[in-house]
Amino acid sequence: MTDAAYHRPTTLDAALALKRDEPSARFIAGGTDLLVQLRKRKVAPAPLISLRNIPELCGVSVEDEAIRIGATTSLAELLRHEVIRRELRALGHALWTLASQQIRNVGTLGGNLCNASPAADTAPPLLAFDAAVELAGPKSRRTLPLASFLAGPGKTQLAAGELLSCVVVPRPPRGTQSAFLRQGRVAMDLSLASVAAFICIEDDRKAPVVRLAAGAVGPVPMRLRNAEATLVGRPLDAAALVAAAEAAAAEVSPINDLRSSANYRRRLVRVLCERALRQALGDKEIHHEG
Amino acid sequence: MRAELRFTLNGAAVEAFVQPQARLLDVLRDTLGATGTKEGCSEGECGACTVLIDGRAVASCLFPALEAEGKRVVTVEGLRQDNGDPSAVQRAFIDKGGVQCGFCTPGMVMATTALLAENPAPTDDEIRAGLVGNLCRCTGYVQIIDAVKQAAGELATKERS
Repeated sequence: MTDAAYHRPTTLDAALALKRDEPSARFIAGGTDLLVQLRKRKVAPAPLISLRNIPELCGVSVEDEAIRIGATTSLAELLRHEVIRRELRALGHALWTLASQQIRNVGTLGGNLCNASPAADTAPPLLAFDAAVELAGPKSRRTLPLASFLAGPGKTQLAAGELLSCVVVPRPPRGTQSAFLRQGRVAMDLSLASVAAFICIEDDRKAPVVRLAAGAVGPVPMRLRNAEATLVGRPLDAAALVAAAEAAAAEVSPINDLRSSANYRRRLVRVLCERALRQALGDKEIHHEG
Repeated sequence: MRAELRFTLNGAAVEAFVQPQARLLDVLRDTLGATGTKEGCSEGECGACTVLIDGRAVASCLFPALEAEGKRVVTVEGLRQDNGDPSAVQRAFIDKGGVQCGFCTPGMVMATTALLAENPAPTDDEIRAGLVGNLCRCTGYVQIIDAVKQAAGELATKERS
């Protein structure tokens, strides 16, 4: 380790001011990705600005319309949160299989998104829930849909000096069910592919709303818009689920790498998509209790 | 440039001067001489460096030492009971042969201690999920899972009496 500084501001404004004064400094939350990258010299040594001691960035608040998750809320705290487990079930599934207790206890939701891994397991469920992110910069605050925040492997729309402060998830209406499925080689490994499904059937007269998202099968975790489109205006029967799964497999753009071939990932998407839809449809317990 | 750091290690107040970006693992082992905590992969995959911070299992190789400021840190050295006997978890690893070369053991024992504090009666699947961040290259895990079950049983008995 170098002699570089480690700052521990206690307010968001102080954190942003430190970054303004020292543009080469990096924000650090849980550190479970950044400290590995620093150690492997994938990231140059830099002063670090810790976001762990800033109360306004941490914690879950359940409002009428949305669940607001502070960026530095730990993955373990989210997994323990009653409302998240009940209403954002797909996110709960993703958290449960994400890394280990040692990592979940310090890793944060904001960190999982800002690290911008194509395989970030919290992203597909959040995309399926149509989440947005709030960004705080030295001069202004702005809100972006998560889908446009993620820009490429390791890339986000964060401008210089900006940080992700909050993830805003619209509360799913009554009649919503969701599921997340992933396939990894072994438990701790990154996902080879993952799929999240959101299905809202508010009442029998209204068309169901279905949103699907996949991870690790493209440069960014992505909505499966073609697969969603195949389900519009038709009953969600077995043939419809197969058609959606096939559309999903056709629209993803996986790569070959050391973990898996592109072809295998594409096949996984088809299987996981159908299973996730089936699981969400069969899962009647989740509903809005607002 | 050194920064001052104060926290509670195994119940005792400790103080150290550390490099600002030092890892808790290095401060424990090199500065404070608590070498029970082991360094394995240095990237949070193997769990050998697991310690408890305010009761929760954390990979000390990925934990900036300065973030331990004011916190309660427990390492394997702090698990023994007041009379000096091993804890129920430690005893169970010995009884069930959950230790071979021993290098993963401090981390396994710490992760198990945290797991049982949160879930006193885990199923086999919950034990596997709880210890997914701890690699053992010797035992094949069967004896380790047996040890966790014995420890859970003992702690439950103690709770009732």
